[in-house]
Parts: sequence; C-alpha cells; structure tokens
Amino acid sequence: MASAQELSDFLSSIEQRAFKQAVYAVRDDDAALDIVQDAMIKLAEKYSDRPAGELPLVFTRILQNRIHDWFRRQKVRNAWVTLFSSMGKKSEENDDFDPLEQLSAPDDSQIHQDGSQKMEQSQLLQALESEISKLPVRQREAFLMRYWDELSITDTAKAMNCSEGSVKTHCSRATQSLAKALKLKGITL
Amino acid sequence: MNRAKHDNLTSTEADRFGRASAALLRQGVQNLPANIKDRLYAARMKALSVSKAQKVPVHSNVLATHAGNWSSHSSPLWDSVRWAAPVAFLVLGLYGIAQWQQDSRINDIAQVDAALLTDDVPPDAYADSGFLSFLKNGPLSDSDSDSDSLDPSHR
Repeated sequence: MASAQELSDFLSSIEQRAFKQAVYAVRDDDAALDIVQDAMIKLAEKYSDRPAGELPLVFTRILQNRIHDWFRRQKVRNAWVTLFSSMGKKSEENDDFDPLEQLSAPDDSQIHQDGSQKMEQSQLLQALESEISKLPVRQREAFLMRYWDELSITDTAKAMNCSEGSVKTHCSRATQSLAKALKLKGITL
Repeated sequence: MNRAKHDNLTSTEADRFGRASAALLRQGVQNLPANIKDRLYAARMKALSVSKAQKVPVHSNVLATHAGNWSSHSSPLWDSVRWAAPVAFLVLGLYGIAQWQQDSRINDIAQVDAALLTDDVPPDAYADSGFLSFLKNGPLSDSDSDSDSLDPSHR
C-alpha cells in the first residue's frame, strides 16, 4: 500500500505532465485542470491502497477515462446547444464583450533567460505540441504513454484496453506522422 | 512507392524520434505558467485530503487519561447494550403512557357512574325521551341550568 508521502510524491511528479496531456486532448486549460483534478481525486480516493509501483498505470488509465468522459459530455452538450440555437433566435450580442480582454498577457518569467536558444526551443516545442494535438486520439495516447510516460508496450496495452499489436501500430503511425509533419516545417529531432 | 518507403522511419529511427520528442516535451512542462502550477498544487492537496492513506482507522475510543489505561474497549456485550438500552427505555416509556391513559379513562367513567348513581334523579330518567325533551323544552330550559333546578323539592 502506498503511503501518504509516496502518493504525494507521485502526484507531484505527474501533475504537470498529466495537465499537458489533457491539454493536447481537449485544447482548453480550464477543462484540462478539471480533468487532472478529477483524476487525482479518483486515484487518491479509490486506489491509494495500491502498491506505489502500480500507481502510474492506474493513474494513466483514470486520466484517459476522464478525457473520454469529457468528450462524451461535450458531445451531448453540443447536441443540445445546436438544437436550441437552431430553434430560437440568435442570441443577443453582448455589447460589453471586448476581445482584447480575452487575450492573455505573455508570461514574463522567461524574459531574462537566454534569448535565441530559448526562442528556438519554444518554437520547436510549440510545433511539436501542435502536431501532437492533431494526431488521432488513439495514436496520441499510445505515443504519449510509450515515450513520455515511459510505459512498456504491455502496460500501454492495458491502459488503452487493446492488444499489444495495436499499441505498436498506433505508436508507429503517430511517430511517422509527427516526423513527416515536422519535416515539412523544416524541423528534425 | 519508393519515395514513401524512403520517407518512413525505421523502427530504430522512430524510437529515437519518440525519445527526442519526449525529452522536448519534458523540458516544456517545466515552463508552465505560475497560475497553472498553483492550481495543480491546489488540486493535488485536495486529492491528498481525501486519500485512503490519510484516513487513520479508529478501532476503539480511548479516553485521554493515564496514557489510555481507561480505554473503553468495545466488547460485544457492551455494543449490544449500547443500542438495546435506549430501545428498551423507549418501549417501557410507551407502555407506561398507555397504562396511564387507560387508568385515567377508567377513572373518568367511574366518576360519571358515581355521579349518576348518587344523583337525586334516578338513572332510568335519563333514558326516558320524555324527560329529556322536558329538560330541553320545558320551563327549566331558559332558567339557570345549575343542579339546584333539578332538585325535586323546588317543584
């Protein structure tokens, strides 16, 4: 059974990675934060009595399920919104809405760091994240679990509830797609 | 066909590409905005507060005296008494109330019987419809309806 300290250390080690993975999937920071929080609470509530070694796999599976649940809810919500918007008149325009208020201020924490190298790395990362977001869901899941979470093919197959052969196929296709897309942008890793 | 084959990465190359991508992604995670990190920290604290590991199981209530010598270890007998006593008290209370109500009802009836038997008017008179209509419509009905008006000596 994982101790409270082990659980805390584990959550601390994966929370940021889990957030980014959720962002790649749902493309919304707030929704991604909600998903990660739900997944962490679920893990702590239901599975914290598991051995510490099992936590990564269990958490990965919970996170993926939460992301899938989010897409299901969005699908239902969009269906209702579409229905009502087509039945009713156009929603009233909000005169107070200012698009400038929606723009987030740039993060100043990187200003004092090495300029050109940081910029290059940032662009590289941005391009990679953009292409990862465009991958089909299963390919993205397999790619991130295999290389970022460093799960074995067997564990990835368990987390994705599919065969090991499928994991290899998804992973291979994801890698090929990403490499091609980055190559078109003149990027090689 | 050949071009497509040439563009595809070999297994080793694909593996290397995957690891390089993961390394880049890991570096990117370090630069998350502070507000996101704060919210993730708050989420982690919330999760830890509900974890099973935080909940210490309590097997018995221990009094904080003399290093726990007066611990109230719960025996099966004590456990059964603890919930049976209030139930027994409730049942006895209900039985007592029922008895008291029955006694008071009997007393009321006895008082009425005694009043009828000790009255100057015989009890049979109250069963006579003529007497009742006399009481209702007769000259005594308008006067004070105290017990003296029924006294035969006043007639």
